Amino acid sequence: MNRFKNIRTIMMVLFALLALAVPVLAQDGGAVTADEVNTIAKKMYCPVCENIPLDVCGTAACAQWRDEIRIQLEQGYTEQEIINDFVGRYGDRVVGTPQDPTLRALSLVTPWVIGALVVALAGFSLLRWWRGRGVQAALAPAGAPVSDDDYRARLERDLQAKR
Amino acid sequence: MTDVNLPFETDEPAPQRGFRLGLGSIVLLVGIVLVAVVFGIALLQRNQTQPTAGPAPDFTLTTLDGDTYRLADLKGQVVVINFWASWCGPCRVEAPALQKVWERYQNQGVTFLGVAYTDTERGAREFIAQYSQTYPNGLDLGTKISDLYNIQGVPETFIINQRGEVVEFIMQQISEAQLSAILDRVLATGV
Repeated sequence: MNRFKNIRTIMMVLFALLALAVPVLAQDGGAVTADEVNTIAKKMYCPVCENIPLDVCGTAACAQWRDEIRIQLEQGYTEQEIINDFVGRYGDRVVGTPQDPTLRALSLVTPWVIGALVVALAGFSLLRWWRGRGVQAALAPAGAPVSDDDYRARLERDLQAKR
Repeated sequence: MTDVNLPFETDEPAPQRGFRLGLGSIVLLVGIVLVAVVFGIALLQRNQTQPTAGPAPDFTLTTLDGDTYRLADLKGQVVVINFWASWCGPCRVEAPALQKVWERYQNQGVTFLGVAYTDTERGAREFIAQYSQTYPNGLDLGTKISDLYNIQGVPETFIINQRGEVVEFIMQQISEAQLSAILDRVLATGV
């Protein structure tokens, strides 16, 4: 009797262990992981807060969107298909930049173009100022005070000539 | 005493002393003005608020059942536009009140339109089923309707009179008594 009792206990323990192992095996066998969800969520933004990526956002709205990403991944949608679906439903704000290729290029390139223009203009102005300073110094007679004021420089030259 | 020969007494032309801008400065100035304009527009957009009077922005809502409602076509009726989301706690609190008021007023020239803001279809359907909502509800695809009404969050409710004008804006969860009082007034006076 005792032997049967022991066997039954061992079988129950084994069954419990197997039951515990099933979800773990299921996770390894193709279920979507949080990392996979977050890889896509990282490229989107919270719908109700400003500039917070979806993967780190703690609102209920973000949790719901991450769930939606998980479901779509389970259904076999690709990353781009999921992003396109979200943009279609909620607009370009989902990804922070326009999906239209022209607008996207403009939004990404414009800040750099403006930055480059500002740097180029600043460099050009600096160079012009530097050259102007050099020419003025060369024009000024030895011993004469160097001045930025043309009028004053001419006056000084006339005074020198009179002496 | 030295005889000073001043420039204006010479034959040499006097130097130009006016304020002149180089090409670089002009381009830089135009750039600054453009950036200021862009920032100004952004600031204006940020400061835009929900309409509280005047003509209600027109929109078309496709409900989760596939029906289409255009606000402009609902002139002659009082319209309650309720922005909500299934992830929003206060929206869950006000949902039973909205349904009750809808049941009471639906045959008195009142239409309810529920607009689900940044919601998933699954979440919205579960919400509607949970609170047994029978009035038209649809997803705000592309958040176009929310943008038109400049909503800042959910829930937000707009009451539109028979002439298509916004007469009430409620920026919090609405109660049954509050909504009923507003509808009674608008039905009676139109304002």
